[in-house]
Amino acid sequence: MNNRQAIRALIRKDIRSVTSSVQLWLPMLIVPLIIGIIVPSAMLWVASRVDLHSISNLNVVLDTLDKLIQSGQMPSLATMSTDNQRIVYFLGLYMFAPLFLIIPVMASSILTANSFAGEKERKTLEGLLFTPMSMSTLFRGKVLAAFIPSVLLSWVTFIIYGVIANILMYPIFGTLMFPNWNWIILILWVVPTCSLAVILLNVLISAKVRGFQEAYQLGGLVVLPLIALIAGQATGMLMIGPWMLLGTGAVMLLTSFILLRLVTMWNRRQQLAESQI
Amino acid sequence: MIEVLNINKYFGEHQALQDVSFTIQQGSITGLIGPNGSGKTTLIRIMNGVLGANSGLVTIQGIDTSRETEKVLAICGTLTEQSGLYENMSGRDNLLFFADAFGLKRATERIDELVHLLEIQDYQHRKIGTYSTGMKKRLGLARVLLHRPSILFLDEPTNGLDPDGIQTVLRIIRQLNTELNLTIIISSHVLTQLSAVCDHYIFMEKGRVVEKGTEQEIIQRYQSAPRLEVEADMPNGWKTGIYSPETVTAHTATYQLSSREHIPLLLRQLTEHGQVYQARMEGNDLESIYFAIREANAHE
Repeated sequence: MNNRQAIRALIRKDIRSVTSSVQLWLPMLIVPLIIGIIVPSAMLWVASRVDLHSISNLNVVLDTLDKLIQSGQMPSLATMSTDNQRIVYFLGLYMFAPLFLIIPVMASSILTANSFAGEKERKTLEGLLFTPMSMSTLFRGKVLAAFIPSVLLSWVTFIIYGVIANILMYPIFGTLMFPNWNWIILILWVVPTCSLAVILLNVLISAKVRGFQEAYQLGGLVVLPLIALIAGQATGMLMIGPWMLLGTGAVMLLTSFILLRLVTMWNRRQQLAESQI
Repeated sequence: MIEVLNINKYFGEHQALQDVSFTIQQGSITGLIGPNGSGKTTLIRIMNGVLGANSGLVTIQGIDTSRETEKVLAICGTLTEQSGLYENMSGRDNLLFFADAFGLKRATERIDELVHLLEIQDYQHRKIGTYSTGMKKRLGLARVLLHRPSILFLDEPTNGLDPDGIQTVLRIIRQLNTELNLTIIISSHVLTQLSAVCDHYIFMEKGRVVEKGTEQEIIQRYQSAPRLEVEADMPNGWKTGIYSPETVTAHTATYQLSSREHIPLLLRQLTEHGQVYQARMEGNDLESIYFAIREANAHE
């Protein structure tokens, strides 16, 4: 049988199922809009225009930046003449990077939970199991149906964020600052590998639960390490650099391979059918 | 030909199927009969290879269904109680999706053919969410026929349908069997409907096959002492030779006979003495036989 034809059909059907449900597509638009565009733009705009020492809470961040300069972790900061330049640089090119990972994680979780646990809940999975489509075709189609929109959503948000960041940073630095290597590696390497790992983890979870809500809630636990990453970055405890990002992507890819083995072991046609009963 | 050999299936501690064996000939329509929970649906899922058995073997046209499931699914169509259709898509889009899932070439032509056969032209572009149960059943049938299967598994195909819907589905089942020589297995507990289409029956009770065969074979096994109701004009009374009626009204009488062999003898004697309009055996319909079989197996 024609695998590509079946994979394309699965992708089209799953994407259509998302676009036809406002409960699914609305959070997938709102979260990137807030995390990737509104909040970073507002913070960058404020940081570029306001006297930073007048905002008492910001002294903590400024102290963090001083420590980073002294420890030599961010030598580029030392060459900058004002606190506004430093903080805009830090926010625009470092601070929001881990925050950005929430977008593919969130999108992948919603899409996969809908795709697998949702099919179970709506009693449509059995119809797919009755077709002669192989299990690897079914999984490839389902994984791609979550992977493609998730990565595209992250990339589109990245482009819009990039345009806004450059518009706000250009008057301060007189040159296009965005993106740096961190962002390029993040978007082209970490976002796809992270999406894949989250999707496969959700496929595993979906196979064991009965409904969309349960799958989505369990899958949401993936956000916890991200929060730790964001906190580490904000307090200067953990500075993300290109090597660290390359390593993170590699770990995600390795995790994906392990998850893929488990997915193929635990999701044979007969096991999936039995989990429906 | 479908061969089911010593199938056992457990869900945890519960034994859903117990040493199930039978053979289904090509081109037959077999009714799988039993109360809810007797294992009919589980058996269908094991027969098409989607569910695994703990022991035993099912072969369809010589193919082991548990080992070569994809090959088996390519020649089988399975319609379950849940239609398995996507509510947010139109009927036609559902068919287009499943045509791709089955790897069908020239899908549009095949879909047009089925839309015509199942008379779903008027609502094919409407979303499934707006369909009645009958419409869903028809579309579900179209879905399982897309890849031109030679075997159909229909699990409760008339459940939830109004009398018109039931007649339509039964007509289509007969048509598929006679025109395309499809082997059809129908599971149901609505027996009056099954007797209109099936030529063979398998009775199930608590996961076991308790009876199988054609309607006549099963009736002969369970009806050793038939009751015959006769409508006739008998000017000289109903008592003829050795036969005395149990109950008598103006134009009908009921005879309790000791065996089927007495039926032609009684009718011959009645026609010699009066005008016989009709004779009907009581308790020889599928429903009575079903209860007789259940009664016989109740204490096992």
